[in-house]
Amino acid sequence: MQYKLYRRTFAKLGVLTGASLLLVPACSSDSAAPGEPVVLTADERELLERFADVFLPTDGTSLKPRSEVPVVENIEHAFSLMDNPTREQVRIGLKLFNYGSVLIGLHFARFIHLSAETQLNYIRRWENGIEIQRGISTVLKKLVCYGYWKDIEAGRAIGYQGPVSEVGGIASLGNAPMPKAGSG
Amino acid sequence: MTAMAEQPKATIRGLPTLKVTSPEQIPDAGLELEADVVVIGSGAAGAVTAYELSRSGAKVLILEAGPHIPSSEFQEHAPTALETLYEDHGNQVNTTGDLAILQGKCVGGSTVVNAAACFRVPNQVLDNWAEEHGLENLSPEALRPYFERVERNLSVHQNEPHEVNYNGRLLIEGARKVGIPASPISRNIKDCALTGHCISGCKTDRKQSMLVTYLPWASELGATILCGTRAETFEVRGRRVTAVHAVATDTTGKTKPVRVRAGLVVVAAGAVQTPLLFQRNQLGNSSGQVGLNFACHPSLAVFGEHEKDIYAWVGATLSAQAGDVENPLKGGYLLEAGMVGPVITSAWIDGGLGSDFVEFMENSKRFQAAVILIHDHNVGSVYLDGDRKRIEYDLDDRDFESMREALRGTARIYFAAGARRVYLPTTRRTTIESEDQVDSVIDGLQNGTHMYRITSYHPQGTMRMGADPARSVVGPNGLCHDLDNVYVPDASLFPSSLLVNPQITVYTLASYISDQILARA
Repeated sequence: MQYKLYRRTFAKLGVLTGASLLLVPACSSDSAAPGEPVVLTADERELLERFADVFLPTDGTSLKPRSEVPVVENIEHAFSLMDNPTREQVRIGLKLFNYGSVLIGLHFARFIHLSAETQLNYIRRWENGIEIQRGISTVLKKLVCYGYWKDIEAGRAIGYQGPVSEVGGIASLGNAPMPKAGSG
Repeated sequence: MTAMAEQPKATIRGLPTLKVTSPEQIPDAGLELEADVVVIGSGAAGAVTAYELSRSGAKVLILEAGPHIPSSEFQEHAPTALETLYEDHGNQVNTTGDLAILQGKCVGGSTVVNAAACFRVPNQVLDNWAEEHGLENLSPEALRPYFERVERNLSVHQNEPHEVNYNGRLLIEGARKVGIPASPISRNIKDCALTGHCISGCKTDRKQSMLVTYLPWASELGATILCGTRAETFEVRGRRVTAVHAVATDTTGKTKPVRVRAGLVVVAAGAVQTPLLFQRNQLGNSSGQVGLNFACHPSLAVFGEHEKDIYAWVGATLSAQAGDVENPLKGGYLLEAGMVGPVITSAWIDGGLGSDFVEFMENSKRFQAAVILIHDHNVGSVYLDGDRKRIEYDLDDRDFESMREALRGTARIYFAAGARRVYLPTTRRTTIESEDQVDSVIDGLQNGTHMYRITSYHPQGTMRMGADPARSVVGPNGLCHDLDNVYVPDASLFPSSLLVNPQITVYTLASYISDQILARA
């Protein structure tokens, strides 16, 4: 029963190849339709920031400094593209992750208040946990990746070329000619 | 209608033009239209059917739920493409939430955002369709002229040497060393500019998607195309659908009713939306099979880290293939060399946490990369839960075994090609550090939910084709068993999965079914 409940409750936590997840106004039902701006709560923003701190530490690396990329704003935009039930499920997932540390591992503090080392261990615990924990930790990682790597210059810092056709002056071939009579 | 159609912003003199009517151009009171044929969906199946029937002189009208985004507006930026060109803005997933199901949602459908790989359906699959589903009509011999026609129309060719990047050469080299067949892949592309942005839409119109081929051809022959207009309900009289009701939604969210009366209805909305439309209308389901038998080619990516820079994302998005594609029913799998930008790279593989993850991304230019396709069983289903669509699909244990063998083969190929480490697509960082670890690591993998980062690019099944009306929804000629004037030509009719990328098979079956329609007219 419990297994089925988890599966249903977190039905769309998957998030995908890129765009996904998101969140809702605090203490109110989420009424924003897909495409309408959604505002992350302060708790949600802080969770994403702290998660990114330990998951993607760019200081002293060749990566574009995370402080120069609007990671949370990009995630906020991704949330606005989700339908309401999905957004609600993701919000629940984020809360579970943040508050789960109060009991899991007996840290007696939310994730955002843990030390960096304890945060990493906590994430590893979720990676190796039950289905719902694996799903939520994956969603968090994908969200942060989406928010960061959406930035074109962040990609260029690791050698990815980004858009090329306009800068390269590559001409359009236009629509294909109609097939010749008898061959089409 | 013609007067309302958008004029292309720029056309090249003498080439066919694509005219599309947007919801903004539809009066607030809506539209009442008549056509000989109404086609629902403008992707691979809808576009080909619309063109073939227009060519015969029929008055054709296409209803497309997605927007019309001209190629000049493509950004060559995967996140933007996901948000604007894909179903659910790239967020379509199974009910478990661990399988991303990517489909195009725009004029031209998935053909606009696919990676252009072209394969004919393996003969072994067609033989199985004949034996198990009574589809003797779909023999390799019968379909050959149709394959040849669409391949000619779409400039399908095997990649030339300059279209095979370093990543592709490594796949071929490694596969041959371990005795696995490999070659350059075939694509529907003309004078490829090698930008590596296929899945974000081809900005310079080299990929021969429906957006630059069959749709402008149909348009040139008089077909009408309405974008942003979702078909919702049918008017039914006896065994005939007499009209389709749709809703056009403009960019402000205003909705406008559209009613199309037509003598013939072609439902080509894809393997997710086509069965949902039938279910919403409680139509065509005397077999109880509508929405069942969903398969999707669950796909995993594998990276191999080399000493040298590879820049796998430079050049053709897909450059080479490896695997025994002629034996899908006997465990054959398909590897396709390809990689996209960092958003997709970080979504495909878990590179670890903290400094491990940073190093993973810094090293991504040294990754050999390929995606795995398998011939999966039709264990899923698509249905409505209230107004919400649900896609039930979890990787079957039989298919997990196929996946495991494909992962094993991929790792061996990578090490043979010189990789020093292999990254597996699990939901926590998993690597193979040397060739002698391959078996132990792969054997230790288990099937389960949220265990792997799986993506489907090829939803199929759900409107099974077959000779027996008790076991299938659509007959051998594409006509619904329960209806006299409704055809389905899209990937939903596949009785089993193909293993290979399905676009060429969809074009071919749509051409074949168009001929069946014309023969019956």
